[in-house]
Amino acid sequence: MKDLVSGNEAIFQGAIRVGASYFAGYPISPSSEILQQAALHSDKNPEFRFLQAEDEIAAAIAIISASLAGAKAFTATSGPGFSLMQEALGWGHGVEAPCVFVNSMRVGPSTGMPTQPAQSDLLQIKAGSAGDYYPIAFYPNSVEECFRLTATAFNAAEESLSPVILLADAFLSHLYEMVDLESITIDIVPRSKEPLGRGQRLFTGTAHDKLGNVKTNDPEAYRGWLWELKNRHDRVGEKYPLFEYLPHKSSETLLIAFGITSRIISSLKNRFSIFRPIRIYPVLEKELKEVTQSYRHIIVVEGSDGQYASWVECVLCRRVMKVACLGGGFKLKWIQTQIEECLKEVRR
Amino acid sequence: MDRSYKELLKLRRFPHTWCPGCGIGAVLKNVAMAVKEQGWNYQNTIAVSGIGCSGRMSGYMNLDAVHTPHGRALTSAETIKTVRPDLNVIVLSGDGDLASIGGNPLLHTSRRNPDITVFCNDNEIYGLTGGQAGPTTPKGTKTITSPRGEPYSPLRLGRILTQQAPYFYARTTVYHLNHFKACIREALLWKGFSFVDIISDCIELNGRRLGFKTAHQMFKWFDERFHIVEGQREHLREDELGIVKVLVEEKLRPTEKAEVKPEFPIEDLKPFTLEQLQHFDGSGGKPIYIAYKGRIYDLSASPLFQGEKRMRCHIAGKDLTKDIDIAPHGEDLVFKFSVVGRLV
Repeated sequence: MKDLVSGNEAIFQGAIRVGASYFAGYPISPSSEILQQAALHSDKNPEFRFLQAEDEIAAAIAIISASLAGAKAFTATSGPGFSLMQEALGWGHGVEAPCVFVNSMRVGPSTGMPTQPAQSDLLQIKAGSAGDYYPIAFYPNSVEECFRLTATAFNAAEESLSPVILLADAFLSHLYEMVDLESITIDIVPRSKEPLGRGQRLFTGTAHDKLGNVKTNDPEAYRGWLWELKNRHDRVGEKYPLFEYLPHKSSETLLIAFGITSRIISSLKNRFSIFRPIRIYPVLEKELKEVTQSYRHIIVVEGSDGQYASWVECVLCRRVMKVACLGGGFKLKWIQTQIEECLKEVRR
Repeated sequence: MDRSYKELLKLRRFPHTWCPGCGIGAVLKNVAMAVKEQGWNYQNTIAVSGIGCSGRMSGYMNLDAVHTPHGRALTSAETIKTVRPDLNVIVLSGDGDLASIGGNPLLHTSRRNPDITVFCNDNEIYGLTGGQAGPTTPKGTKTITSPRGEPYSPLRLGRILTQQAPYFYARTTVYHLNHFKACIREALLWKGFSFVDIISDCIELNGRRLGFKTAHQMFKWFDERFHIVEGQREHLREDELGIVKVLVEEKLRPTEKAEVKPEFPIEDLKPFTLEQLQHFDGSGGKPIYIAYKGRIYDLSASPLFQGEKRMRCHIAGKDLTKDIDIAPHGEDLVFKFSVVGRLV
């Protein structure tokens, strides 16, 4: 039976379906509904543990510790909270703890415009914490996809033994759609990491060898560890090459958009080809190269000043134009005129 | 002497990284002995630590250990205990980690009172980073970041932790060995959040600057500074070593129970129609009646109506079932009044 479900509810239900048993969070719009749902769910099901932490730092540390202790754990936050969680995100890669961070983006920097939607935390998922690490990030664009991709994020986390990021935006979090969540079938990857209580292991963010011995002055050991991490992430990333491609035969222009912007510009599919990456990071290098070959112009429409466009530019080594929907202004008409202007400028 | 505690230590990783004369070795050994004495082993005990010299302790324990980012040991330990209540969780960390960068987790984890035991190696200095002033550095102490002497008073951990019952706070030193052992043992036995503040020495990066030549001279200094107090105490003064604990939570004020009035069977009540009800709107000294869920209540005694026909959006002499259901207050406000009839 179809129900009216919001993006946040779908994310929470997806997590429950895939077997999540721990949630820690701190109230922040537009992700607070997930926290509230967790509190209600934990009230009815005592095996589901819930913590309203004192801040996002504690929430992020809590889910990684819960993951080490054997629970499938997740947290939900927004841009400013995600900035506080960066420390734990780096640590999560260090201790190889599978967990899921939901980041419902809003306009930044800092408090920004609470709570106008944005898509400006893309660089934060890759470059917010110290050092090199290789996160995996997904970005749905509908309520049903919120449900499915939450499950995918948990599965990818178990396979890659690291935090996985599920992006959303304020629009998507509060978007209500008719969905039948019960009938959706999903794959579930079981817990892959042996929980605490075996003894003799050390889970540390300091560079270490396989036995958990701290190695603070051994470049070889560090490189070995980092390449293993990178390979594992690449392997798992390849397993989920998720994207959506709507080609238009006579179009010379390819629009790239993801998340809510892809919904907004979907009516332009009669004039332009549209490519929607669902796996945001690692960037869909192979797929982008293949798809973009036949197009003269590439325009990235996104809710930031060209964060994804810079990645696409990097991958393709060619000029990529951008339409930046800033300050929560996602008007189709405005986007259309901006696209026209981009094309005019290029033809000049 | 019973040396079986050694199976809890990763002897293959020895010699450890700590300086000769450091107090952390004594903390590690005595905690290992006490844990062994409790019969805990690597299958049911987890060590969690933060960053710093003392944060390395968990790495030398033959348990599953979690080495958290700076200041986050308590949150991590609490979560592990929540997810796996069958595990015993101990936290081994330092004063800079637990009280300064981890100040917020200290406040909130102790408030939530999880069953974990915290051993704080309190050496009154940031040792690993080279001897900077810490949150517990006594006022006036010269360090490399306070060349004229630390200008601020130190954080009084005991005062913070004993704000809310239940609490367990013990202060001891690495020099007063028997007291030290007793504190560790009691803390491990305590059900709930227990905190052992172990005054320890950092001879290389603090003691030498203070004018001590050996660790032993620092121990002698501890002996001069502190004395052990026995018995039940509410607070420890700055120069006292001892255990303060309160198990009972302060009693909450009993909430007032609403008086339950005997229910009349609805058929026995005097029937009113809506027109008849409208008559009783309080005007001209008439009583104020309202209907709620089929019953008529006499609201004349209500201080809110005060003889007026209307109270905010509630109008006397009407069926207010819908109004009260959407009102910010509950229906118990109506139940306080006597039933005088039923609505037909």
